[in-house]
Amino acid sequence: MRAGPLIVAGLAGVAALCLGFGIVGEPVVAERHVVGRPIQVAGDGYASSDACQACHPSQFASWRRSYHRTMTQVATPESIATSFDDVRVDDVPGTSMRLQQRGRELWAEFDDPDGPRRIFRQVVMTTGSHNQQIYWYATGQSRVLGQLPAIWLTADARWIPRRAAVMHPPGQAPSSETGAWNGVCVSCHSTNGRPAFNTPFGSQAPLTQIADTTAAQFGVGCESCHGPGDTHARANRSPARRYRLHLTGGADSTIVQPARLNPRRGSQVCGQCHAFWEFPDPQAERRANTQGLPYRPGDELTATRFIVQPTTNMGSPTMKAFLEEDPGFIRDIFWSDGMVRATGREYNGLIESPCFKNARDEARTLECSSCHTMHKTSDDTRSLAAWADDQLAPRAAGDNANDACLQCHAANVGSGLSRTLPSNVSAHTKHGPDSSGSSCYNCHMPYTTYGLLKTIRSHQISNPSVQATLATGRPNACNLCHLDKTLAWTADLLNKWYGTPPPDLGPAGSDERSVAAALLWLLRGDAGQRAIIAQSMGWAPAQHASRAGWLAPYLALFLDDPYDAVRYIAARSLRSLPEFGGFAYDYVAPAAARAAMRVRAMQIWRDTRRDADRGGRPELLMNADGTFMADAVNRLVRERNNRRVVYRE
Amino acid sequence: MGADIDYARRHLRFGWWSLFVFATLGLTLELLHGFKVRVYLDVSNETRRLMWTLAHAHGTLLALVHVIAGLTMRSGAIVKRPALPLISTCLIGASVLLPGGFFLGGIAFYSGDPGLGVILVPAGAVLLLFAIYRLARAT
Repeated sequence: MRAGPLIVAGLAGVAALCLGFGIVGEPVVAERHVVGRPIQVAGDGYASSDACQACHPSQFASWRRSYHRTMTQVATPESIATSFDDVRVDDVPGTSMRLQQRGRELWAEFDDPDGPRRIFRQVVMTTGSHNQQIYWYATGQSRVLGQLPAIWLTADARWIPRRAAVMHPPGQAPSSETGAWNGVCVSCHSTNGRPAFNTPFGSQAPLTQIADTTAAQFGVGCESCHGPGDTHARANRSPARRYRLHLTGGADSTIVQPARLNPRRGSQVCGQCHAFWEFPDPQAERRANTQGLPYRPGDELTATRFIVQPTTNMGSPTMKAFLEEDPGFIRDIFWSDGMVRATGREYNGLIESPCFKNARDEARTLECSSCHTMHKTSDDTRSLAAWADDQLAPRAAGDNANDACLQCHAANVGSGLSRTLPSNVSAHTKHGPDSSGSSCYNCHMPYTTYGLLKTIRSHQISNPSVQATLATGRPNACNLCHLDKTLAWTADLLNKWYGTPPPDLGPAGSDERSVAAALLWLLRGDAGQRAIIAQSMGWAPAQHASRAGWLAPYLALFLDDPYDAVRYIAARSLRSLPEFGGFAYDYVAPAAARAAMRVRAMQIWRDTRRDADRGGRPELLMNADGTFMADAVNRLVRERNNRRVVYRE
Repeated sequence: MGADIDYARRHLRFGWWSLFVFATLGLTLELLHGFKVRVYLDVSNETRRLMWTLAHAHGTLLALVHVIAGLTMRSGAIVKRPALPLISTCLIGASVLLPGGFFLGGIAFYSGDPGLGVILVPAGAVLLLFAIYRLARAT
């Protein structure tokens, strides 16, 4: 028998097997044929992150585990954070939302946010996964998306109404988010997003607009930070080119490496999204509405964006125009001295930091990568999941976090008090060397920024200052930890330790001199201040420094705060106290139910408080028998700043 | 001189010892897995893991090829015996260069690209193909 036919038959069999394996899977619709949602298409020199994996497996793996990648995903049973399998969601305005999974498709029935009717729509995309996950449905109008009325809260593994996910004034119904992904989210939650609206976004009802929205990739991909990569990928198919670059260590001109940019340009790569910015003029906005944003990594960001910086451009015509249109434009994002107070705008904090704006030497200029790394490094012993939480570099995380600052503030290069840091940290901090008071972050980057139902550290490096507190209302680092101390106590120690001139705290007996600063912010502060203090009351170092026994009744008071976000944070902090570990409370429950839960919390406190917590502490507005000084508490609550607080989160 | 060499014995000895070496490498790699050794398992060392796995796989399979070649020669199936010296040299060269190149390529590497030692691999592959071709013709 001849071998030829046998060989041919064998090869044909192998081919048939391969074909068979290829067709047994579920049919996949090519992305360009998908209708009803934005699509991912190559173009503009973008190649997608998949093209990076072969040459950069380690970087690809850490990016893949990052929350940048999952900023936007196509909704599938795998990408959603919860189940859609015949689920009823009651925590929405109006009638309950019903969720269904049909094969691999996800569907929802809910009250139409754009009209008085019940609709049944396919959920096609998601935003986020770390803190919350938002779900977008196909409206049926071109590629315009609408947002489900409930959001999945990851930490609590529960659905919440959309208004309860953000700092939102009570009684004010949130506006429809229809079209928001196409017009707003697309710029930072995807790579090279192009809204492609036929008319200016916002100029008419989104459902009357046509949007052929596309992105090179959903989520923040490699090319968001490295720029378009198609040319780079093509050029480096040549092993000779790759090895020449490996062996010479030269920069590859076909791609942007942010680490090789100077600190200012390198930080702008992050600032393209982590900044509060606006379009410099209506024409730029219209161009972005159609073609996407023109900024590419390595470019000068301010060439195409107006970076809002109240300390320097408050009087600019652009700023004046924005303030004319929206008086809250600055107030809802910045403290009155220009420090940013809303999360996600860390670049605004960086560029106001003395370590950045006063730096004269590139090697000693604070930049995002001084503390953060977008790829987990080989010397990082943490798991990918632990690294992904804040994407901190090993030198800026854990017990060695002071190393991030010591890169510059070391004995041989620092100045003033910082020269003593490596050898004798206590000489500078006046706290025990291993205490939380000797953490650079805790004093110079306190938790004064709010967003996503939590506070985060200010990214504007600053010194604790009672003067700034009095001028802006921003809690200072000392009193955020020493919750039981007055402003006078802080001012006195700052004067004694660092020579800080004492501020005017009013006459003897004034609240600033006699009442714990934390209580002043909590009782009479605006919703933003209340959220910051409520979170600090659940912060372990503050509980340790302030003795936690007195915190429960004050946190209990805020279980019925008018703002959802304040209630949520107060409850979370309350549960961090030993007696309230399993305390049942629903921050979106009706007012009557919340009031009952508050009464229950107060009862638990009365039943469990220790004798050590009694004895009268006038600065905490507590009598000797452990009860509130009701008159003083009520007076401060009456003085509360009830301005409507909206954070641009 | 070539006629004096017992090629069958040469390849059998080379094959079995080679199998011993690369099976030992396999055991070593398993131990690296077992003890979760980071220089081998970290995601940043994926290229090393791939290269050393390829070194183990190629070395082991080539060892078996040597055993089969030795048995083939001993069976008298080789009809063109003058070709044997070149075939034998090429086969042994391939068995050193192929797994050796992979192994060296995994010692020091450049992200997704193996180290320069990997340039031995294509040379070994050419020798192997040549040896197989000549062996096929000589059989």
